[in-house]
Amino acid sequence: MDPIHTEIVVLGAGPGGYAAAFYAADLGKKVLLVEQEKKLGGVCLNCGCIPSKALLHASKMIFEARESAHRGITFGPPQIDLDKLRAWKNSIVDKLAGGVGFLAKKRGVQVLIGRGYFEGSQSLRVETAEGQQFVTYDKAIIAVGSKAALPKVFDLGNPRIMTSTEALEVEDIPEDLLVVGGGYIGMELGSVYANLGSKVVVVEALAGILSGADADLVRPVLQYAQKNFRELRFNTKVMQMSTKAKKIRVVTEGPDKVEKEELFDRVLVSVGRVPRFHDLGLENTKVEQDERGFIKINDKQETADPALLAIGDIAGGVLLAHKASKEARVAVETIVGEPSTSAGVIIPAVVFTDPELAWCGVTEAEARAKGMEIEVAKFPWGASGRALTFDRPDGLTKLIIDVATERVVGVGLVGHGAGELIAEGVLAIEMGATVRDLAESVHPHPTLSETIMEAAEVYYGVSTHTFSPKRREE
Amino acid sequence: MDLKLPPLGEGVDSGSVVGILVRAGDQIAKGQGIIELETGKAVAPVPSHTAGKVAKIMVSIGDKISVGQVILSLEESAAAPAKPAPSAPAARPERPVAAQPPSENEPKAGTWVDEEPAPDAPTPAASPTIRRLARELGIDLRRIHGSENGGRIVMDDVRAYIQRLQHLASQAQARTDALAVPSKPPPPRIDFAKWGAVTKRPMTSLRKAIAAQLSESWRAAPRVTQFDEADITALNELRKKHAEIFEKKGARLTLTSFALKIVADALRQHPVFNTSLDEVAGDVIYKEYIHIGLAVDTEQGLIVPVLRDVDKKDLLTLSTEMNEIATKTRDRKISLEELQGGTFTISNQGGIGGGHFTPIVNRPETAILGLGRGALKAVVRDGKIEPRLMLPMALSYDHRVIDGGAAVRFMLDLVKGFENFDEKQLI
Repeated sequence: MDPIHTEIVVLGAGPGGYAAAFYAADLGKKVLLVEQEKKLGGVCLNCGCIPSKALLHASKMIFEARESAHRGITFGPPQIDLDKLRAWKNSIVDKLAGGVGFLAKKRGVQVLIGRGYFEGSQSLRVETAEGQQFVTYDKAIIAVGSKAALPKVFDLGNPRIMTSTEALEVEDIPEDLLVVGGGYIGMELGSVYANLGSKVVVVEALAGILSGADADLVRPVLQYAQKNFRELRFNTKVMQMSTKAKKIRVVTEGPDKVEKEELFDRVLVSVGRVPRFHDLGLENTKVEQDERGFIKINDKQETADPALLAIGDIAGGVLLAHKASKEARVAVETIVGEPSTSAGVIIPAVVFTDPELAWCGVTEAEARAKGMEIEVAKFPWGASGRALTFDRPDGLTKLIIDVATERVVGVGLVGHGAGELIAEGVLAIEMGATVRDLAESVHPHPTLSETIMEAAEVYYGVSTHTFSPKRREE
Repeated sequence: MDLKLPPLGEGVDSGSVVGILVRAGDQIAKGQGIIELETGKAVAPVPSHTAGKVAKIMVSIGDKISVGQVILSLEESAAAPAKPAPSAPAARPERPVAAQPPSENEPKAGTWVDEEPAPDAPTPAASPTIRRLARELGIDLRRIHGSENGGRIVMDDVRAYIQRLQHLASQAQARTDALAVPSKPPPPRIDFAKWGAVTKRPMTSLRKAIAAQLSESWRAAPRVTQFDEADITALNELRKKHAEIFEKKGARLTLTSFALKIVADALRQHPVFNTSLDEVAGDVIYKEYIHIGLAVDTEQGLIVPVLRDVDKKDLLTLSTEMNEIATKTRDRKISLEELQGGTFTISNQGGIGGGHFTPIVNRPETAILGLGRGALKAVVRDGKIEPRLMLPMALSYDHRVIDGGAAVRFMLDLVKGFENFDEKQLI
């Protein structure tokens, strides 16, 4: 194949990579998008955000049906056709991946399927099904992402020990499932399997689930999980794992230092994600990496190599699709010479457990640790009419407020639909809104969005639907 | 009690009333604008220095008034301090009070801090649109106090801030102008015809441009001229030897060709002669390129076309280009671009004659080399008097940027260049 030259190469077609490729093409650049998988869309679309949310939605119905008994509506036991469920999930993934390909075509973005390897700062070798393709370019954006970590002790080559990628294929519904790691992936997929009927045990080495989120927001998620899962064990480590016939033998050690041996049908390892920096030829470039392998970047997404930029998971920070997409914009704007920056950008986080958990800006714990002068205004969903109508008062809305300026610097939400509600928090912080701005903006009734307005009113001691004795002087 | 026009600041002692902001019977607050005054510099409200109730307004729109003139009178009985009017809100006490032009009310939008913000000072609240705009314009948002809730900066604040920067810049300009041009009346016109016949010829636009450019240089650049002579006996032989070869290639090998090469070499050694002074920023700008202007004597007057990248071209190229550009200049076919971007100028009068002279620096450059005609002189060499061909050289430079020592060293290198020109450069 003849070598090709292009202005911009984007390596990796996930939500960072394809966003960068499309934006650059929209700005008139000649772009080549290189992806090693046959389907575009990256982890998010193929084995992350999208399939997990589809399965969460489908399996939640089972739980909801059971819950509606006390409201006077009962259903028979569910019939689960796993093949059909999987096909439905895959149809969503295929539709979206096809959409990405279609949008690339429409923009004239050339897509090359194959493994990319840097021969130098400005030349890439791509191993395609048809052979080697050499590519030279002015600038490249590295967006190769991350993959689920599978520590050696768990890597027995046994398909019953899964990472999130395999778990999303739902080959069967294990009777007993062990989830190693109580982060958002473990909690979300644990919920899917619990809803489908598995007895789920979560072990977490730290003292609680979903570290990073404020404890008061995590509490409803934990309470729900304790009801839905068989067990959650904290300060507990997995010491050993081995195959025993069709089961997995697992030895754990709890906080009491006593070892416990159990058998599980399947194990889901969700102990974090690692950057995909291997076999990229990064050593042939001037790119620098941190000790974990993430590529070092500045606030313009530039690496130590003047021809290379990096975005998304491979560039470290929080590993979230929307963070990658934002960085894609910054990287492309940097290339075309606009004064762009990813510094100070608010990246919201959402955990799609039941109930959902979402936050943006600073958390209360972070603010206190930094010694910021803040006040926290909370509105419990037990006082929300809307929350009661769908029988889920287990929610909380809270605002973190900078005392000197009354600016909203953080928003935290837990409860049904928190992931949708958090966007208002992001807008408020980005716009520099004060708590009064939120209190004075009319929110429709009866909706959950009112809880944000009422939390702002709580700050002034004048919330309609709660009573707090303190009243703030203006 | 009367309110009089307060001192307005340097150089301004009067103005025209373009607006009256209060009416008889109004309760006014201290600091509230009472009239709008147009001066040579700006239209600005004049604030009241005290509170009270307006009894009578003594000026009307269009009046030209001077400092100390009564604008309005206040009722004597209004002794009780009035509450500040809502139009003049007190500055937020917890913030440093913004520095503002003295003759303006506190505007709703756009107050500012003049002191340098600390590097770790937090970024104030502003929407992503405003933050992007600030990045594009190179504005530090920490210098602006937002007018909205929580100090949030909105478009009006940025606009007011930019207007103020512009205002300050024009004030600074006005101050420089005031310094530069003493407001002396022009000298009385003299009737020269009373002593004999005269002919009046209007200055051509080129003549006017030359006059303006040279006056500006004379005024702005304190100039020193350094004299020296170079022995060009050998160089002249070299020139004669190669002149024919050059001729065949369609180029004239002249002393100026050599001078271009020698000056370019010396400029590389002494980059301070290849600079411009940015007076506003206070920067000396060192240019990585060497573009040399050549003073060309035309029928209409002096024109200085510029030869590009002289240091990167050989003698043949330079000689060819020099002939082309000189012809183009004399035919008035030279384009404006070809007259711009020079970093140094050579003025060779040798073709006509002349000895030492004192060229004027061709601003914004900082130095110029004037060459006279090489003449045979009795020179002492190795204890003997010999006839040698000596080239008069005069280097004028802007003493603000270049010192005398540097000029001597530059000149010595030029002399060396003329005296020891390497023949290899000709081949």
